Amino acid sequence: MHIQRTNFLVRFYHQLGSPPSFYRISGYFLKWLLFIAIGLTIWGLYDGLVLAPADYQQGDSFRIIYVHVPAAWMSMFIYAIMGVCGAIAIIWRMKMAEAVMLASAPIGAWFTVIALVTGSLWGKPMWGTWWEWDARMTSELILLFLYIGIMATYSAFSEDNRKAARMAALIAVVGVFNVVIIHFSVKWWSSIHQGSTVSLMGEQHITWDMLRPLLVMAFATKFYYGYSMLKRARVYLLETESNKRWVQDIVLGEKA
Amino acid sequence: MKPFLALVKRDLTLGLRRKSQIYQPLVFQLLVVTMFPLGLGSGAKTLALIAPAVIWILALLASLLTLDQIFKNDYDDGSVESYVLTSYPLPLSVMAKVMAHWLLSGLPLVLFSPIIGMLLHLPSSSYGILMLSLLIGTPIFSFMGSIGSALTMSLKHGGLLLTILVMPLLTPVLIFGASAVVESALGNSAAQALLLLSGLLILSITLIPFAAAAAIKINLE
Amino acid sequence: MPIITAQDISCQRGNYLLFKPVSFSLDFGQSLLISGANGIGKTTVLESIAGVRGLQQGRLSFKDQDLSKFKDDWFENSLYIGHKTGNKKELNCLENLRSFLQIQGIEVLEPQAEQALEQVGLAGYEYQMAGSLSAGQKKRLALARLLLVDFSIWILDEPFVNLDVAGCDWLLSVLDNHVKNNGILLITAHDNKVIKNKVTRELILEPAEL
Repeated sequence: MHIQRTNFLVRFYHQLGSPPSFYRISGYFLKWLLFIAIGLTIWGLYDGLVLAPADYQQGDSFRIIYVHVPAAWMSMFIYAIMGVCGAIAIIWRMKMAEAVMLASAPIGAWFTVIALVTGSLWGKPMWGTWWEWDARMTSELILLFLYIGIMATYSAFSEDNRKAARMAALIAVVGVFNVVIIHFSVKWWSSIHQGSTVSLMGEQHITWDMLRPLLVMAFATKFYYGYSMLKRARVYLLETESNKRWVQDIVLGEKA
Repeated sequence: MKPFLALVKRDLTLGLRRKSQIYQPLVFQLLVVTMFPLGLGSGAKTLALIAPAVIWILALLASLLTLDQIFKNDYDDGSVESYVLTSYPLPLSVMAKVMAHWLLSGLPLVLFSPIIGMLLHLPSSSYGILMLSLLIGTPIFSFMGSIGSALTMSLKHGGLLLTILVMPLLTPVLIFGASAVVESALGNSAAQALLLLSGLLILSITLIPFAAAAAIKINLE
Repeated sequence: MPIITAQDISCQRGNYLLFKPVSFSLDFGQSLLISGANGIGKTTVLESIAGVRGLQQGRLSFKDQDLSKFKDDWFENSLYIGHKTGNKKELNCLENLRSFLQIQGIEVLEPQAEQALEQVGLAGYEYQMAGSLSAGQKKRLALARLLLVDFSIWILDEPFVNLDVAGCDWLLSVLDNHVKNNGILLITAHDNKVIKNKVTRELILEPAEL
């Protein structure tokens, strides 16, 4: 692709839109993303689990927020990204958007599972039960179903993966509209049924020492997502472009 | 005759001749409702307590039984081409299909609901709100189902996938619908829940036909 | 300028091109036979041309308009009959014929529909449910649509399948007539010896090289 006399951003955008350059460019980033993700995770976990002071009410059990909250944030963040990429995939039929959307689904689903499991572990000391139908946890559970729906749609049309990708994209777009409504309705529901439940994240004052590890972990999960998503998207591209010359060059080149 | 009306008329004729789409969901509802006292005990108080939720969940499940048929039959016999290969806007045809589906499977559920309510000892003062909430809510099932059906029409066994896709998306409908009935059974005003439910219906009417039309186009590719 | 032009069109299944990109152009009074080995994508390309599915590669234009953008005019001038007949088994022949066309915005009066049924050899079957017809009769019922629309472009996928000898002869004469009256015909046919001699040109699909 020759785009001359255009500015850097436009060129960058076009290169990302073309599978071979996406594959090449993302290859440079992979190592660094993983490196930063691991580094931040070590820092965040050490800071959060060891250095941060214990909560005056919850003692040490509050420390699970350093996993729970970033995972819950990621579960929603990734779903939003999938919605945007899904729309691009349907409207402009951009293959890269399909790749990013499909690559994001399992990562988002696993973050949702982590948020649910850690929430449940946290619930035991907080509520005395493993599961409470609190608004956030319920929304999170429904979000997991939405993720499963997208992945199930993709795998149902395995004979033609571009069609499957666009079907999954459509479900992601519909889902993103709906997630807002679901979130609101579940909140409304919990307000009439159990207004007094202790929320996992109350409006307690949080000190900088407690907040810092949380932010570090939030960045760590983003970098991990970046790494894992790119890695999966690259595999998707290799699979779907397996009949193209550039893939054959790469595969044969790596073998040699 | 306008293509819209022609499509509605054709589907209604088909539905009335097949009959199964109309009576099977009702039989299913009755069957499941029979299981509740058998499993839970026949105490009128217990049953009345769960009645609003049970009726709404049953309406949801009964709708799911027929949702995959919205486009599947037309895909299988090829008549889907009659509304795809025309200059008439596909979203309008989707609307016609949804309308026919609701008239055949949704409306009977609405009309039948007092009987289910009676079997579960729902206070008779709530029948009005029950029917009204189902009247607003069941069309949303059909609308959302049209997306699911359009996505799964080319699959041999798409029913389960459709359920997985559609059920989470319908949680708001269930929340508002059931809570309208709960409030009215408690003697409170159901207005807020009903208004929110109506909001969902308006959103569905305006947005979903486009999504379902896109799904049909993608699926035919 | 030809009415229909196709430039380097091809279809994809998954990530693979089904056949080597082909080009053709058609004018009023011309016909095109699309042939090729089983599984090469004859039905797929016909469906893409008709507008059931999108075209993954190449450009198709009708009266100088790009068909990927302006479809309405095309839909109002073309009739596609695929290998799925589009008949509803719970509707009788008359209802099937009329409702299918009504949904496409074409009003057909009952006497006209009856006449069409008579011509395709379904006289006496007007009130019989389509589900009880034989495969050949179902095909005839679908083909009766050709007689009721005055569209200039006919797109037919394997129209001779399931028809008996008399049916084939009848269809051949109808197609002949259509083309002679300045119609356009795009057709795939399994047993193409007879039809091959009748069409203006033949397009043979060949496997795409990887």
